[in-house]
Amino acid sequence: MARIVGGIGCSHAPSIAHSYDKKLQKDPMWAPLYDGWAPAKEWLTQLKPDLMVVVYNDHMNRFFFDAYPSFALGAADKYPQADEGWGPRDFPDFPGHAAFSWHLAQSLVEDEFDPTICQEMSVDHGILSILPLLTETHWPAPIVPIAANVIQHPIPTPRRFFRLGEAIRRAIESYPEDMRVLVVSTGGMSHQLHGPRFGFLNPQWDNEFMDRLESDPISLTKLTHAHYMERGGAESVEIVMWLAMRGALGEKVRRVHRHYYAPMLTGYGLVAFEGVNSSDAR
Amino acid sequence: MRLGGPQVAGTTYHGESIAGTVVFTGARSHRGYRINKLAMSLTDPANRDAFRADERAYMAKFGLSEAEMDLVARRDWNGLVDAGGSIYVLLKIAATVGQNLLQIGAQMRGETLEHFMATRPGKQGTAVERKG
Repeated sequence: MARIVGGIGCSHAPSIAHSYDKKLQKDPMWAPLYDGWAPAKEWLTQLKPDLMVVVYNDHMNRFFFDAYPSFALGAADKYPQADEGWGPRDFPDFPGHAAFSWHLAQSLVEDEFDPTICQEMSVDHGILSILPLLTETHWPAPIVPIAANVIQHPIPTPRRFFRLGEAIRRAIESYPEDMRVLVVSTGGMSHQLHGPRFGFLNPQWDNEFMDRLESDPISLTKLTHAHYMERGGAESVEIVMWLAMRGALGEKVRRVHRHYYAPMLTGYGLVAFEGVNSSDAR
Repeated sequence: MRLGGPQVAGTTYHGESIAGTVVFTGARSHRGYRINKLAMSLTDPANRDAFRADERAYMAKFGLSEAEMDLVARRDWNGLVDAGGSIYVLLKIAATVGQNLLQIGAQMRGETLEHFMATRPGKQGTAVERKG
């Protein structure tokens, strides 16, 4: 039987990718982020998951508004990176796990989630900006990407993301092979990318979100998208994706690591959890 | 009879106004479709070259109106957002013409890049960091 061994919720951002490619790890602006995420990288290195299920959003790189899926599940053995307009970065394709993906598809549909299933799927900075900070190897385990619509309203409700996480957990726990799975959700914390409110930051809200994600995630599922956009900026509504990871981890979690840093356009946040539920004690 | 769980009233966005904010709704996506489709095409390097070679001829192929083409020609990012552009796709136009997010952000705020950068916490020594 497969099982969940941990969860990560973290920001994703083109700026993180830029800092990595420009080797700004020691730059005074960037060092707090790299140093702050190092304990999560160390934990992940020890944890050695066999598979990473990643809930993220595509930024008009694989998908376009001609046919925009609310949820899209990758079911391939490899996932190349998308050219976002600035040319590709120097990384190999991500390995996938098609057999697990099809199991996940079956289980999600029986659970009344009906994702678009993609046998070809390039992935963008929603995944590629953050993984190089969390591992030395490219890549430490196959990924199963789940892209969500958090761009074109109406977008799925916060509660839907939490329930997606619960459904992901049921799928993992019904997979017949022994497999240790990490569930990752990425999504920017407070930021706004357009208009006179461009550059909006709200570290107080970002930290409140991380507090509540850990101890009272249900309260976050009851907030409206308008509430998220008011408090964090319009584009920060994507933070609702973190609820999928939290939903997958079960009722109680032990926090392994947490870090927050807001120097520029957005709050860079990261939480790492392990489940402490009875079914995890195997 | 409705099946499934109770709906959470008003959970999705219903058009409440948020100061300084344009929410990318279905109506906006419909209105800005041609602009967004043009911008999306620029994820292909060959299309980026074609756009740079003759912007107007390239844009005409996507059916943009004269007014929409003028917005692109002026690099009027607020105007493009108002016309239904999604900022995520508009960024591909920016990338193609050699502008980055910080530059277009400063313009949308009506500030110089230097002034905008000076307002950032990391530049002011007020960056918020919280450990653990």
